[in-house]
Amino acid sequence: MKKNERTCYLTSIYPITTLMLRSKTVIAILLLSIMWLPRAVAQNPLDKVCSINLNNEPLKSALDKLTAASGIKFTYNETVAKSTAKITIRAKDQTLRDILSTALAPHPFSYTLLDQEVLIRYDPVKSKKSGPAPAKPSAAKYTVSGTISSKQTGETIIGATIKVPGTTQGTSSNAYGFFSITLPAGDNQLAISAIGQKSALITLVLTANHTLNFAMEDDSHQLQEVNIGAKPRGARDLASPQMGVVQLSIQETKNIPVLLGERDVIKTIQLLPGIKTAGEGIGGFYVRGGAADQNLILLDEAPVYNASHLLGFFSTFNSDAIKNVSVYKGDMPAQYGGRLSSVLDIKMNDGNNQQFGVSGGVGLIAARLNVEGPIQKDKSSFLISARRTYADVFLKLSHDTLINRSQLYFYDINAKANYILGTHDRLYLSGYFGKDVLSADQIAGINWGNTTGTLRWNHIFNDQLFSNTSLIFSNYDYKIDVKQDINDFTIFSQIRDWNLKEDIQWFPNDKNTISFGFNEVFHTIKPGEITASGNSGVISQRLENRYSLDQAAYISNTQKISSKLNLTYGLRFSAFSVLGEGNFYDLDVNGNIIGASHYTSGQVVKTYFNPEPRAAAAYELNENSSVKASYTRNVQNLHLISNSNAGSPTDKWVASTNLIKPELADQFSVGYYRDLKDHQYEFTAETYYKILQNQVDYRNGANIFTNQPIETQLLYGKGRAYGMELLFKKKTGRLTGWLSYTLSKTERQIDGINNGAWYNARQDRTHDIALVAMYKASEKWTLSANFVYYTGDAVTFPNGKYQIDGGNYYYYAERNADRMPAYHRLDLGATRQLKKSAKFSSDLTFSLYNAYGNKNAYRIFFRDNENDPSRTEAVRTTLFTFVPSVTYNFKF
Amino acid sequence: MRIHITYSILLIVALLSSCQTAIDLKLNDTTPQYVIEGVLTNESGSCKVLISQTKKFTDDNSFNAISGAQVSISNNGTTYNLTASSAGVYQNSTLTGAPGQTYQLNVNINGKIFTGTCIMPQPVALDSIYLVKDNISNNKDGSTRKNVTVQYRDPAGAKNYYRFVQYIDNRKEQTVFVDDDEFTNGQTVNNRLNYSNSNDDPAKDIRPGNTVTIEMLCIDAAVYKYWYSLTGSASGDGNNAAPANPVSNIQGGALGYFSAHTIQRKALVAP
Repeated sequence: MKKNERTCYLTSIYPITTLMLRSKTVIAILLLSIMWLPRAVAQNPLDKVCSINLNNEPLKSALDKLTAASGIKFTYNETVAKSTAKITIRAKDQTLRDILSTALAPHPFSYTLLDQEVLIRYDPVKSKKSGPAPAKPSAAKYTVSGTISSKQTGETIIGATIKVPGTTQGTSSNAYGFFSITLPAGDNQLAISAIGQKSALITLVLTANHTLNFAMEDDSHQLQEVNIGAKPRGARDLASPQMGVVQLSIQETKNIPVLLGERDVIKTIQLLPGIKTAGEGIGGFYVRGGAADQNLILLDEAPVYNASHLLGFFSTFNSDAIKNVSVYKGDMPAQYGGRLSSVLDIKMNDGNNQQFGVSGGVGLIAARLNVEGPIQKDKSSFLISARRTYADVFLKLSHDTLINRSQLYFYDINAKANYILGTHDRLYLSGYFGKDVLSADQIAGINWGNTTGTLRWNHIFNDQLFSNTSLIFSNYDYKIDVKQDINDFTIFSQIRDWNLKEDIQWFPNDKNTISFGFNEVFHTIKPGEITASGNSGVISQRLENRYSLDQAAYISNTQKISSKLNLTYGLRFSAFSVLGEGNFYDLDVNGNIIGASHYTSGQVVKTYFNPEPRAAAAYELNENSSVKASYTRNVQNLHLISNSNAGSPTDKWVASTNLIKPELADQFSVGYYRDLKDHQYEFTAETYYKILQNQVDYRNGANIFTNQPIETQLLYGKGRAYGMELLFKKKTGRLTGWLSYTLSKTERQIDGINNGAWYNARQDRTHDIALVAMYKASEKWTLSANFVYYTGDAVTFPNGKYQIDGGNYYYYAERNADRMPAYHRLDLGATRQLKKSAKFSSDLTFSLYNAYGNKNAYRIFFRDNENDPSRTEAVRTTLFTFVPSVTYNFKF
Repeated sequence: MRIHITYSILLIVALLSSCQTAIDLKLNDTTPQYVIEGVLTNESGSCKVLISQTKKFTDDNSFNAISGAQVSISNNGTTYNLTASSAGVYQNSTLTGAPGQTYQLNVNINGKIFTGTCIMPQPVALDSIYLVKDNISNNKDGSTRKNVTVQYRDPAGAKNYYRFVQYIDNRKEQTVFVDDDEFTNGQTVNNRLNYSNSNDDPAKDIRPGNTVTIEMLCIDAAVYKYWYSLTGSASGDGNNAAPANPVSNIQGGALGYFSAHTIQRKALVAP
C-alpha cells in the first residue's frame, strides 16, 4: 500500500499508447518503398571535372562560362567583376582546381573554397610572391563590429562565421548576433557565412573603426539539401579551445524521426556522444555520467527546473519557437555555473521583424501554432508560439468510465517581443508558460508546470565592448489533489528564482576576447504545503520555506598565442548563502536530530565560497586537424532528490544547507578533431575523467514524504566518471548524418550504501551507439532513420527471496550489480513536401518509432506468479513497439 | 496521507494493461542469508520466532526452515527459552508481553549470534471499523468495491506507529498497512485500508456476507521503519531506483525484525 508513489503516475500514460496503437484508422502507414540510392553525393566543387576553351575572355565573363560548364558558382566582389584581366583556358576533363590554378596564375587573383561555391578574390600579394617578401610595417589596426541577421526574418544569427579568406583570422557572432574583429588598416575582405544562409563576401577599406550590420539571405538551395552543420571550411572551430560543445540550429533537427511526430531538441541531443537518454518515457538525460539534475537547462537564460511534459515523453521546448541550441558537456564557459555536468542553452526566436507569418502543425497527439511578425518593421517584432496535446480525446473513446473521464494533457506558450532602440541598444522580453494536467475523474490529479520570464537589454558600448543585462524570473510548481470519501487533500510545492545577470564581452585586439560579468540569484523553495479536509485526521501544514542567495562573478580570456595555439583561461567565483528565516539542524550519523538553531529572516546561516577555475588549450596540427585539452571545475548548490528510477514531477529540489554541501565536479578532457574531404566529414574524439564530490542520495528506507528536515533522509558521497566519445559526421550532400559511440564508466561511493563500496551509478552504460541518417531522395521526399543501441542500466535485481508474515520478499546483495537488457531501436521517418511557394508551404511528416518492434524493457519487476502462487516470476514492462505517426505542417 | 495519494494514483494505473511479459532473467544467487521474524504481543501464547533462510529466486515459495537454533527472549533479567514447535518455528507458551516493557531477543544459529531489542508501546484504542464504497473502481464482476476504514484517536503526547492486518473470512490480506502520526498527531483518524488486487482475485474482495476482521498493532519506531522500508524497497516492484534490504532492528546480519506490539481486534459482517 505504501508503494513509492512517484512512478505510479508514470504508468498512467499507458492508455494513450494502447489507444494510439488501436486507433489504426487514424494512423497512416509509413511507406519506405523509395530506394536508398546514394545518387550524386556532393563532392568538393574544386574536384569537379569539366572541359572548356576560352580565349582572352574578360574575367567576369570567363567565370560565368566556367559556371555554365561546371555547374559550380563563383563568389566575387566588384574588384573582380570590373577587372580587365583576360583569361585563357584550354582544358579537357580537368578538375576545376587545375583549371583555376592555371588560368589565374598570371593574374593577381586567387581562389578559395567557400562552402559549395568558389571564392575568387583580388590578391595583390600574389604577384609579388616571386621577389623577397618585404617585411610588412606594423600598420594601424581597426575594429569592424556589428550584428549579423537574416534578411528575410530580421532574426539575429547566432554563430555566423566572419573570416578573412585565406588566413586563420576570424570570429563568430555571439548569442545576440554581435561580432567584433580587429583588422589591419587598408583593403580587407570578409567572408560571412552561416547555416542555411548564402555566404557573402564583403570588401572593406579600413581607415577607421567600422560598423557592419549585415543581413544575410536565406539559401533555399541549402535548406533543401538537409545540411547538418554545413559551414564553410574551418567553420567548425578547430582553433577554439572550447571542447565538449555541440551547437544545433533547429533546422538540423527537423527531419530526425521522433516519437509521435513531436520534434524535440532534448531527444535529438541524446543521439550525440556523451549525452544519454534517461530511458524511454523518462524526461531526463545524463551527460558524462552526471545525474539528470546536474544539467542546467536554460530557455532564453532562464533556468527550467522540469524540462519534461507528460511525465517525460516530451520536452517542454516547442521547436517552433526555438532558434538555436548549444550543449556544453561539462567544459562550460565561465559565464555558466550552478550545475556539474552540462549546460543546455536554448535560445528562442526573436520574431520576424520583416513580415507577418503563421506556421503550425497538426499531429496525432498535439497541434501547434506559431504567429510572428513586425510590430514596427525593422525595429520591433513579436512571436507567440503555442501547442496543446489532445491525447485526452482518445481517452474519451474508452468504454471504461474511469479512463474516459480522465484528463491527460499539456499545453505551453512561448512569447517574445523585441525592440531595437537605436544603433546601440536592443530590448528583448520573452516568456514561457507550460502546464501539465493528469487527473482521474476528479478523484486524484496532479498538475505541474514551469513559468519563465526574461527581460534583456543588449548594449554596444563601442566597437569592442558588448553588454547584455538580463532580469530573469523562473518558477516551477506542482499541485496534487486527491479526493477520497469525504476527504480532500492537496499538496503544493514550488521553487522560484529572481535572477539578475550581467555579461560583457570585450574584444580589445585581434589576440584576445575577454568575457566577464556577474550573476545574482535569489531562490525560494517551498518544499510542501498540505491542506486537508474531512475526517482523515491529517493536519493542514506548511513545511518551512528555504531561501538562498546565489552569487557569482567571472572573467575569462580567449587568447591567440600563435597562429596554431589558442588558450582560454578564466575563473568563476561563486558565493552561495543559505538564508533564514527558518530552523536549521544538527544530526548524528544515523540522521537523528540532535540540535536545532533558529535563524531570523535574512540572517545568513552559512555561505559557501567556491573558486571555479577553467582552462583550455587548442593546438592546430594543420588546417584540417587540431588537438585540445581542458580542465573545468563546476559547483552545484541546488540538488534534485529522487529515489524513483524514472523521475517524477514531485522529485524534490533542495538547496544546499548547513548540512547539504555544494556538489563539486572536476573534469579533465582531451580531444582530437579532424575534418576530412574538404570539410565534408568531421571526426571528433574526446575523452574525459571527472571527479564528483558531495553527491547526495537517499538513505536506505528513506521516507520521501516526511515533514522532518530532508537532511534526516540523506547520505553523501563521491563519484567518478570517465569515458571516450567518438563522433563521425557527414555534413553535406544528399545523405547526411552521423555515427556516435560512447564508451564510459560511472560509479558512486556513499558511506551507508552498498557497505561503503564503490558501485555502478544507474546511468553507467558501457556502450552507447547512435546512427542518424537523413537522405534527400527527391525534391519532394526526405527520408530519415536513426538507430540506437546502449548497454542496459545498472540495476539491482534480487539475489534471493524469503518469507515475512506469509508474504514473499526479495533479498539484495549488492547495489546496481545487475543490468537491464541492452536497449536498441530503429526509427524511420519521411517528409513529403506538399506545396512550396513563396506564400505558402506545407509538408507531411511520417514516422515509425521502434520500427522492428523490439520489446525494450521499461522496467523489470518481480512478483508471485499469478497462475502458480508457489513460484515467483520476473516481469518486463514494455512501453512502445511500433508507434506510427503522421504530422501535417504548414507555413504562410 | 501518502497512503491515500498512492492508492488513488495506483488505481489509475491498475486499470491500464501495459505490455507486460514474464521473462527469463538470469539472476545471481548468493550465499543463503538467515531470516528471523520475532513476534511478541500482549496476548498469551503469542510469543513466536520464525527462523528461515533465503532461497533462490527460481525455487518455490515455501518456508525454508532452519532447525536447531537456540532462541530466547529476556525481560527484566528473566530469560525465556523458546522451543521448536515445528521446523523453524520457536515458541514459548508462558511469556506474554506487557506495554512499556523492554524485550531482548537472542538467537544462536550454529554459533552465530543475532540479537534484537524492542519496547512494547502503549496501546491506542481501536474505536471502530466500517466499510466505505470505493469511489474509483468496482470489483471485476461490476459489484461495488468496498474498503475497511479504521477509526482511532491518536494520542498527542507520543509518537505512535500502527500496523493493521485484514482478514476476510479468516483469509489474510497480504497488503502491508502501516501508518504513523507524523501528519495526524493528536487527531481522530479515519484511515482507509486500501488493498491492491491487481490480479482481480475475487477472494480478495469484500463481498456481502464476508466476515472482515481487523487487527490493530501498535508498533515501535524501528518496527515501523522495517515495514515501511520492506514494502518500499524489497517488494520487487521495480519502481524504486535503488531496491535494498529493509532496515532491520536485528543485529548480527540477519534479515527480518523483532516486534513487541500490542494487538486488538474488531470484526464486522459485510452487508
